Amino acid sequence: MTSTSEIPSLDLDLFSDDVLTDPFPVYERIRNAGPVVYLPRYRSYAMGRYADVRAGLADWESFSSAQGIGLNDLANAATQGMIIATDPPEHDRLRDVLASRLSPKAIRQLKDDIERRADELVAPLVRQGDFDAVDDLARAFPISIVLDLIGLPQNGRDKVLGWADAAFSASGPPGPRTDAAFPLLEDQLAYLSSIEPDQLTPGSMGRAIYDAAAAGRIRQESCVPLMSAYVTAGLDTTINAISNAVWYFAHNPEQWDLVRLDPTLIPSAFNEVLRIESPVQFFCRVATRDVDVDGLTLAAGSRVMMLYASANRDERKWADPARFDVRRNPVDHLAFGYGMHGCAGQGLARLEGHSILAALARRVERFEVGAPVRRINQLIRGLDALPTTVRPVAETA
Amino acid sequence: MRITVDEARCEGYGFCAEAAPHLLELDDEGDLKVLSEEVAPGDAANAEAAVRVCPVAALRLEP
Repeated sequence: MTSTSEIPSLDLDLFSDDVLTDPFPVYERIRNAGPVVYLPRYRSYAMGRYADVRAGLADWESFSSAQGIGLNDLANAATQGMIIATDPPEHDRLRDVLASRLSPKAIRQLKDDIERRADELVAPLVRQGDFDAVDDLARAFPISIVLDLIGLPQNGRDKVLGWADAAFSASGPPGPRTDAAFPLLEDQLAYLSSIEPDQLTPGSMGRAIYDAAAAGRIRQESCVPLMSAYVTAGLDTTINAISNAVWYFAHNPEQWDLVRLDPTLIPSAFNEVLRIESPVQFFCRVATRDVDVDGLTLAAGSRVMMLYASANRDERKWADPARFDVRRNPVDHLAFGYGMHGCAGQGLARLEGHSILAALARRVERFEVGAPVRRINQLIRGLDALPTTVRPVAETA
Repeated sequence: MRITVDEARCEGYGFCAEAAPHLLELDDEGDLKVLSEEVAPGDAANAEAAVRVCPVAALRLEP
């Protein structure tokens, strides 16, 4: 029997500006040190290899979410009762409410509308020629779609994105960034608490939460946490994936040509963007018992960071992982997590991403981008601005 | 070898049906149907791929 003392310890800072700007060298050190490593600064462990992260996410009985997915006690307490911080059976009741509106079957009837909205957004930007791929494209699109689907009143919508950013960053380690983010998470919850159910659009995803509570399928006090799940998780993956797609296609024009000439590659291309630049860098789990991790024993009670972004660049799993290849079709990437807590909105995220890429593929021959401005967030990797110029495809007669 | 679906977890992504069209399909309603729980030796690799690509780990292979 191996003991926890054999788990390698690395004195790494994962949250410095330099590492948040380029975390991949540090992730490689973690992967090479072992299947699980101890990070004394955070009194937590981390898994960085694909096989171990995936197996851990699948084994919710050994790796619990119920003590929170963050690295500080305040955020872990504040997120109690949110779906991301539950285990069955509570998790399954909440998941049913989301899945009844977000499953591929439930969103089928949204397809035409979302494709039309993608065209209406992309066409004038391409005519204009210059735009910010973050603000004008990647943010504008999901914000217009998702906030309507949730059925939020107009009042407060302008603050939703900032709150979502903070709600993620608040789960970092204790320190100034977490201190700055935490009040905004509280503001988000206060805003959601202030909304009366009848202010939400009838038939909307938000209204469905309150309908589920009225019908006794979930508890009344689960409504605000579920609303928080929608407004926190409903935007970031899509925003970051769309802006990252523009950056990667600008820097890999031959890959854009492949997609333009064969749009059936779009689902694979969208997965590849999510693999190579996973928006969610990690969520934590807590071991409920002594667990074997590829020969090392992780003691019961250990908090462990599941490094999705590292797993998606693990050279043990992916050939040449830093190479962007739209033909790779990495359908089993972990950017949406995996298993029971796998992103409930991934069908909608895919529909949005595929629609935007298809609208761009019909109109854009080349992207040129200036220097991106990176958004520093303790859990989410993405851009704040990406000056973009597009060369339209030649008009066909 | 048998392939089974946890219907409470399945949300109908359909990636499994793309990986193993002999064994699984999405019906017109968007619900997953198991065409054959029994996996013939020739379909074992596809069945394993189907299990692997399920985003919510709703599929299981049993010997």
